[in-house]
Amino acid sequence: MARKDLLDIASLHREEIEFLLDQSTSFKKLFTRSVKKIPALEGKSVLMLFYEASTRTHSSFEVAAKRLSAEVTNFDVDHSSITKGESVRETIETLQAMRTDYIVVRHGHSGLPGMIARQTTASVINAGDGAHEHPTQALLDAFTIKEKFPDPRGKKVLIIGDILHSRVARSTSTLLQKLGVEVAYLGPGSLVPKYGPATIPRFTDYQAAMAWTPDIVYLLRVQMERQDVQFFPNVREYHRVYGITNSRLAEIRDRGLYIMHPGPVNRGVELCDAVMDYERSLITNQVENGISIRMAVLDWLTPGGNFRGRNRMPRGSEPTQR
Amino acid sequence: MLFLQNARIASENSPVLLESDVLIVEGIIQDIGSNLAIPKGARVIDARGRVLMPAMFDAHVHFRAPGFENKETITTGSEAAINGGITGVVMMPNTRPALDSATSVATVLDNAKRKARIPVYTSGCVTKDRQGKELAEIEGMRTLGVKMLTDDGDTTSDPAVLLRAMQYATEFGMFFASHCEVPELAGPRALNEGVMSYRLGIKGSPTCAEEIIIDRDIRLARAAGAHVHIQHVSSKLGMETIRWWKSRGDVKVTAEVAPHHLMFTDEHIGDYDTNYKMNPPLRTQADCDALLEGLIEGVFDLIATDHAPHTPFEKAQDFVTAPNGITGLDTALVSLYHHFVEPGKFGWDLVVKRYSAEPRRLMGLPVPTIEVGQQAECVLFDTEAETTFTREFMKSKSQNTPFIDQTLKGRVDLVILGPEILLER
Repeated sequence: MARKDLLDIASLHREEIEFLLDQSTSFKKLFTRSVKKIPALEGKSVLMLFYEASTRTHSSFEVAAKRLSAEVTNFDVDHSSITKGESVRETIETLQAMRTDYIVVRHGHSGLPGMIARQTTASVINAGDGAHEHPTQALLDAFTIKEKFPDPRGKKVLIIGDILHSRVARSTSTLLQKLGVEVAYLGPGSLVPKYGPATIPRFTDYQAAMAWTPDIVYLLRVQMERQDVQFFPNVREYHRVYGITNSRLAEIRDRGLYIMHPGPVNRGVELCDAVMDYERSLITNQVENGISIRMAVLDWLTPGGNFRGRNRMPRGSEPTQR
Repeated sequence: MLFLQNARIASENSPVLLESDVLIVEGIIQDIGSNLAIPKGARVIDARGRVLMPAMFDAHVHFRAPGFENKETITTGSEAAINGGITGVVMMPNTRPALDSATSVATVLDNAKRKARIPVYTSGCVTKDRQGKELAEIEGMRTLGVKMLTDDGDTTSDPAVLLRAMQYATEFGMFFASHCEVPELAGPRALNEGVMSYRLGIKGSPTCAEEIIIDRDIRLARAAGAHVHIQHVSSKLGMETIRWWKSRGDVKVTAEVAPHHLMFTDEHIGDYDTNYKMNPPLRTQADCDALLEGLIEGVFDLIATDHAPHTPFEKAQDFVTAPNGITGLDTALVSLYHHFVEPGKFGWDLVVKRYSAEPRRLMGLPVPTIEVGQQAECVLFDTEAETTFTREFMKSKSQNTPFIDQTLKGRVDLVILGPEILLER
């Protein structure tokens, strides 16, 4: 059975992940053509339901859907009845009545996309829920890594920053581990929860983390908006202790490490300005790859399938359930 | 006249169930013994194999009236209690308006007299509108019989306010019930801080949020010479804190545990199931094990459900938005039997002691027993039958319980209160 929704990475099995990454490669080849659009989702409707601000993810999904010829509707939360006190559940009932084919949802509450998925017939794609999951970000990260390391098994990714509030850290580390990549966390003790998976080493000291010899350093945005209390004294201190400073960038360059970041970057906090010119920064690659990954996901969830290769979709064991 | 033939009688004082006939005349137990002659005109109930026990009493329920009658009313709440084998309850004061004055308490008690078939008592607030600032109308509420003071889900945050309240109200023979939580540590989401909260991406509540207030409130009670009752303990270290204070013997402490904290862990939340969202939150198996140990040992004087009804609409929201709490009255006795008595973890004597006798002692009420000369206030329980907790079965207005549509071993067959049969299956 094909999946109806993409809600998390945790329940995806490896064959599904490999399939989506392969499909993304195929879709990316379209980008060099003069006409980038294919009719895979012609007649389908995609509703963009973003309760939280977003530039990259929102536009990436929109571009992906349009390149597959879907009709895209942007649900304007700020001008909807939500501002009149309508609950999410009432909104869902309204949306269900509209018979949209896909709902791409981002919300500050963990688990909410799953709730929408249970209450609608539409395919629901989680575009980020609270501090829970951001599956398409994880897929595009893995795709970006595989472009540099076609066989990423045994490679090491050091994720630095606000792990506690990061859905990216959860999804990306889960996915990379499924692909055989080693992952470690680095950050202030107040932002790297001790309850994370035991298989992920947890560092609070930059030098100790670098001694773990990562191949990629993956910086997370410090999410000041999610911090209800102070987790570290100030951003200047954060940059000094955990940020990629000019001197650390020199060390990273010497070691030939790649740098990734899901954006948007807090300049001078996670990364110094010079990173923008760093030849092994993969930040723009991540943005570009977001489109092909999201095309692959939208196509994958389409009942009946459209794009070539769909019938090669792996079957077999049930996805791992939490 | 009611003649219960061959019932197995449970009491708090003996683990042995003695098989006897019991004759009840005009609500009073007239005779108990083997092979009693059946009086003429008596209604005979064959109770062979079934357990006859004193009816339960729940010292921690939310009946939501006034203010939230869409969730529960005194009528539906008390019917849920009867459905579960319970013949007396103590309401919490977090209604709207809050029960912080003689006027509001009088209204509730008047309603209860008219609308409930069982005695419904209420606690009163420590502070006005549970705001933790000004003392509530404590003496006025006492004149109406209020004994328990609590700001319920809102821990009285200022220790000076609570200390003064304790010093003041202890003079009137009142005691304090504490919902133990440092809100700044606990956050609003009612999920244990641990592997599960990390996995679900929701801010967790560490057990220290509970432990700190348990310790604080007992220390305040000691300083004031007051009696403090610690409500719905959820953590191992919370239990051990109470045990330690009780072992010192220089402060009057009682404590309760809720059935759900004995039976479920945060793992049960699974895919954001809001029927497992409650405050204090479900914790780990190690905590459950410690709470059971504390119950058997007597660290917990009583079992109370924290019956907390919410409408289906509210609970159908996402986990973060949905309100805390589950209903407990309809399911309490059967679930305790299914999870603990039937598997042999504790006996009927513990159920009677902790869920019938001690809660009434806490409230200064007479304790029903199955003895000649006593008023009949008892439950006949079938240990072989099963109960399926369908929505139709529940008498609570809300059905936010993890047991919904589950079938458990045991069934409440008969509930008697004096001359009235409140329930018969």
